[in-house]
Amino acid sequence: MTEATFPQCRIVTERLLNPETTEHLLNKLTEIPGIRRMVLNGPRLPVTVTYGPAKGMANPHSMRKPIHVGDQEVELQVHVGTVILELESRDVIPALKTACEQVFTHFTFRIQEGKFMKTEPSLVDYCKYGPDADKSILGLADPSSKSKPIIIQGIK
Amino acid sequence: MAYKPQYCPGQTQIAENRRKQLDPDHKLEKIRDVTDKDVVLVMGHRAPGSAYKSAHPPLAEQQEPACPIRKLVTPTDGAKAGDRVRYIQFTDSMYNAPCQPYQRSWLEAYRFRGIDPGTLSGRQIIECRERDLEKYAKELINTELFDAALTGIRGCTVHGHSLRLDENGMMFDMLQRFVMDKKSGMIKYVKDQVGVPLDSEVKVGKPMDAKWLKAHTTMFHSLVGTGFRDDAEYVEYIQRIHALRVKYGFMPKEA
Repeated sequence: MTEATFPQCRIVTERLLNPETTEHLLNKLTEIPGIRRMVLNGPRLPVTVTYGPAKGMANPHSMRKPIHVGDQEVELQVHVGTVILELESRDVIPALKTACEQVFTHFTFRIQEGKFMKTEPSLVDYCKYGPDADKSILGLADPSSKSKPIIIQGIK
Repeated sequence: MAYKPQYCPGQTQIAENRRKQLDPDHKLEKIRDVTDKDVVLVMGHRAPGSAYKSAHPPLAEQQEPACPIRKLVTPTDGAKAGDRVRYIQFTDSMYNAPCQPYQRSWLEAYRFRGIDPGTLSGRQIIECRERDLEKYAKELINTELFDAALTGIRGCTVHGHSLRLDENGMMFDMLQRFVMDKKSGMIKYVKDQVGVPLDSEVKVGKPMDAKWLKAHTTMFHSLVGTGFRDDAEYVEYIQRIHALRVKYGFMPKEA
């Protein structure tokens, strides 16, 4: 049986995104039919200081705040630098480009096509999820973390 | 004719800036005025106004062994007083920051005494006696070697050197030690260099504009500044060093 493969692409911006810009972009993306999965990538913003003499102290950071995407509240854990998307078909890409052009007015961006998400379970995934892992969650979250993917109701 | 050091090769503005910073006879341009108290606050080693802690009694009070080197070398103020050794560490963004780690260690070796610099790819630490350190740190912060948005004073969790800037043009900092005041455009430190919140903010001025940064940076960057390959003399020099090192690796005996 042949397994369906879905095209993937990555939105890379010239600057790391503020939460407001991220929220704006994601709300534009939720209006586009045909996006299956999405990962926000970037350097992590921990809640507490992880290293050094201040270890364990609170780490207030203006780039880590909850944003509203569609009907869900998303707690940002990273300073968003790239958005990885899995699409139902390549026909969605022009709509993505239009959405990005509306949001990124002060700096440049590019949309790259390629393979950016994990599609087969790794050893760590196997340890965490077992032999019958749900492939729709692979690559969406670090298997060693307790965070789970957020499901946003699409418009399709 | 007296020997005149060349400091480093190159024909571009970057090379010229490097030579200026390395030359101890060149007075670095002062572009901000951070006070002694603020420097002490950001470093976080002692409370401002408190006494310096010592690692040994002052040199004048202890018996020194008979040593010709000790007679030759005048101790720094910190060494004389027996201060403990403390540090300051800087992270420089790749996006046209005015200085960079290798350059820092090099220029500090020319300009300062009694220091122990440590150079890494994206950060540079300088260790020395505490009261000497405060004097040096003030010079490193107040002069053209520092930009409020693209240079970070970071004792730990230094990541940011090679990352894209954020939308405000500031270098990424996981601990967000410095923030921009949106109204005034002023950058202020709200945490010390290891991430402990400060009781009072330390203002380090406004970030320099892109034109100034491009004219004063010592870092090659083909996208936002001057590319390394634009400097034929520098490329020739690096290729020569590389070739000599490789050849010597194959034939390690002297002729």
